[in-house]
Amino acid sequence: MALPPVLVILLFVGVPVLLAVGFSFGMTGGLNRTAAMIGQDVFTADGLITGEAYAMLFADPRFPRDLAATVLVTVVTTLLVLGMAIGIAVLLRLRAGWASTMLSGLGVIPLFIPVVIASWAILNFYSGDGFVRSLFAQFGAEAPIFGFTVTGVIIASVWVNLPFALLMAASGMQGVPDALIDAARDAGAGTATIVARVLVPMAAIPLIIAGTFTAIGVLGQFTVPYFTGPNAPQQLGVDISKYFQSFNQPQQAAAVAVIVFVVASGVAAMYVWANFRSAKQEGRV
Amino acid sequence: MTIPSTAASAATPVSTDPGGSTVPGLRLSGISKVLGGRTIVDDLNLDIAPGEMVSLLGPSGCGKTTTLRLIAGFLLPDQGRVEVDGAEITSLGPERRPSAMVFQNYALWPHMTITKNVAFPLKVARVPRAQIKERVAEVLELVGLSHHADSRPAHISGGEQQRAALARALVQRPKLLLLDEPLSNLDAKLRVRVREEIRDIQQRMGITTVLVTHDQEEALSISDRVAVMSEGKIEQVSTPAELYRAPATEFVAGFIGSSNKVRALDLGEGEPGVEWVVRPEDVRVDPEGMPGVVTRVLPHGHYSEVAIEVRGTDLRAFVTGEAPAPGDEVGVRITRALRYRNGTLDEAPVTVSA
Amino acid sequence: MPTMARNLGGRILTAGLIVLVAGFILGPLIWLGMHAFATRWRYPNLLPDGLTLDWWRVVFAEPELFAAMQNTLFFAPVTVLLSAIVCLPAAYAFSRFSFPGRRIFLVGLFATNAFPKMGLFVAMATVFYGLNLMETTLGIVIVHLIGTVVFMTWIPAAAFSSVPRSLEEAARDAGAGKIRVFRTVTLPLALPGILVACVMSFLASFDEAQGTYLVGAPSYMTMPTEMYSLVLNYPTQVAAVFALLLSIPSVVLLLLTRRYIMGGQLAEGFQIR
Repeated sequence: MALPPVLVILLFVGVPVLLAVGFSFGMTGGLNRTAAMIGQDVFTADGLITGEAYAMLFADPRFPRDLAATVLVTVVTTLLVLGMAIGIAVLLRLRAGWASTMLSGLGVIPLFIPVVIASWAILNFYSGDGFVRSLFAQFGAEAPIFGFTVTGVIIASVWVNLPFALLMAASGMQGVPDALIDAARDAGAGTATIVARVLVPMAAIPLIIAGTFTAIGVLGQFTVPYFTGPNAPQQLGVDISKYFQSFNQPQQAAAVAVIVFVVASGVAAMYVWANFRSAKQEGRV
Repeated sequence: MTIPSTAASAATPVSTDPGGSTVPGLRLSGISKVLGGRTIVDDLNLDIAPGEMVSLLGPSGCGKTTTLRLIAGFLLPDQGRVEVDGAEITSLGPERRPSAMVFQNYALWPHMTITKNVAFPLKVARVPRAQIKERVAEVLELVGLSHHADSRPAHISGGEQQRAALARALVQRPKLLLLDEPLSNLDAKLRVRVREEIRDIQQRMGITTVLVTHDQEEALSISDRVAVMSEGKIEQVSTPAELYRAPATEFVAGFIGSSNKVRALDLGEGEPGVEWVVRPEDVRVDPEGMPGVVTRVLPHGHYSEVAIEVRGTDLRAFVTGEAPAPGDEVGVRITRALRYRNGTLDEAPVTVSA
Repeated sequence: MPTMARNLGGRILTAGLIVLVAGFILGPLIWLGMHAFATRWRYPNLLPDGLTLDWWRVVFAEPELFAAMQNTLFFAPVTVLLSAIVCLPAAYAFSRFSFPGRRIFLVGLFATNAFPKMGLFVAMATVFYGLNLMETTLGIVIVHLIGTVVFMTWIPAAAFSSVPRSLEEAARDAGAGKIRVFRTVTLPLALPGILVACVMSFLASFDEAQGTYLVGAPSYMTMPTEMYSLVLNYPTQVAAVFALLLSIPSVVLLLLTRRYIMGGQLAEGFQIR
């Protein structure tokens, strides 16, 4: 019963990923042969593997910049998303009312808007002739242009990723029993202490899940930076398509994908570790 | 409204203050609370002497937990005052009150070890680290949990969690200890042991304590005085013995222990407005008495509860020794009774001669 | 009274927060939506020069755009259905049976998210050429399907797990067979979770653009893939109209299922058990 989805994933994700990893390290035989023949600057390993495709990537000074910009966008976006999600979730937990209900309702809307539209709408909102600049111009002020900047990518990424993190944080904090909050108040804790020492630690797992999914999603995203990002530095997700389509360098495209994969796997491993550790501590295993 | 300054207020028959102190450990004067359009606590007065342990006892929905939450500060009263050791704390939040509470489900934070749980109130109060360590070790020793200092709540038993929750309350050296149904999640045997431990610690430390419970055996066995509550009011505050011997109202008589309610001692029509309450141990099986038929026998070990139909009325009797069998024709005699006029105690006890 | 001052301060702060969040979330959408009815819009005006419905006529007159809509409305339901058939039995198995490698499989399904989508699609193309799936309906459905597997496995698995075994046992005890128990007890109780999984899968399929473009273009264009070229080749207003059209199914879904999504079913599904 459990096999069908596993087979689908193995065949259409597992195999291509392995092929891509092998290809990036110079294994150009087998199913990779077609791509190797069509593509330019393809390196074939003499022995088992070669790192020449990676060397070529890093030889281009633009690539390390792209990598740094991608990591920066990922870290800042994840922190902002978690901060907003925690803020709204805390409000929802401790000050239930129309205000917090409305905030959480607003925060979930992006989940239902296709990313293509969101990216493009945000680009227009913050662009040179967008709403933000128009509004400031009414008062004779000059607002900065965020369209086609790294800041624009961060704004759009936060927008797109907020709902999932918010739902996770809200669910995590709604799960904290009233008595545990009352006990902290009885022990003399103020709101800030309750949030920092009881609510956030007790919602740690959902928050870590939210952080992980956000980070992984932002690391490899294509659509958001494609619409809202600058030409340089570019996000790695855009780089992959650029190397593949514009430069016709499939091996370099695969190498970029592998680099993103390695970083994302690190984040994913943290998630799995945290999940199991807490399950053990709280006696769920 | 004016607040009565004497210990005994008009609304509640408070017995004499056992501490003999002029400043009560806890004073509730005229507190009321309306929640969701319903009056949950209704003009309630209660004085508790320093070091005294008082139970709030009543059926579910009588307002006892709400009263406790009003004392702890989780709810603020709509009317009335709350004083601890003479200081008024009516409008303070729970974090600023000198009380500490043990919650029904213990409310131990699952992500902290027992030590961290117990140390939390001191950390929040910015007590120096060395002192925290000392006081936590001391209180864990007191409740007998030193060997579980680094365990997490999920990994210790229910009784141990209960003691950890008690330690977290005691470590604050509260002026007032509040216990919210602290034993309801323990099995029967353990409950008896833990309640004696709680009583022992409370007496040794001399903390003014309020216990909320729906279990009358628990309330009667470990409290100095018991306050029986019904519909947001205190019906009676008395020592456990007094409560059983002379229940001030019919409600208390019916709630504490088991009882028979009859209109007259000869089971006739009686007088209007008068009711008699007869404890089952005061119903004797005696060949000389009124004739009746045994309808049911419930053995309880060293005694049996026997239901006897006498003159169309169902009477319960506790019979020690050999119990009659259902269908037996027996004689029944009432030896003692409590007389109530319009719901309040008129005369008690009335001894009936043979 | 300090409490009253604090209350007032808190209220002003909350109101400010709501305006800020509403502006952040809704602002771009409203700004875009207004473009769909605008004749011309000159910076720095906050309102357009005039209103018109001409751009809607332009969109409906383009046969390609219309075909894209049809394609999208075909692929999303088919993907959800196929995903349910493939994944729901597995979700039940993950929840009710313990078998060797159960956790590894669950985590493995999740790990597929760690490989960047763009890189995955590029690599998938290699396999698709080998299997003759390029520019086929099946190829696109597969691309959409792999984006839904995590939702369709994890969320229903959690939903099945949250059905108390005692309820199933009571039904068995009452004489119901295994299949009847599943149909009358387990499935109805797990339905909200399954519904959320379906909504998330629908949105994932609806939203998919990169892989569809790579595998399907130019034979099969969906609404999101058309958006890419629209933005470059048409006036802003046309893209705005198209964006509005593209948002309609999602917004309807939002209104229908908000209760379940907010109910924690989604969040519950992402905790490994």
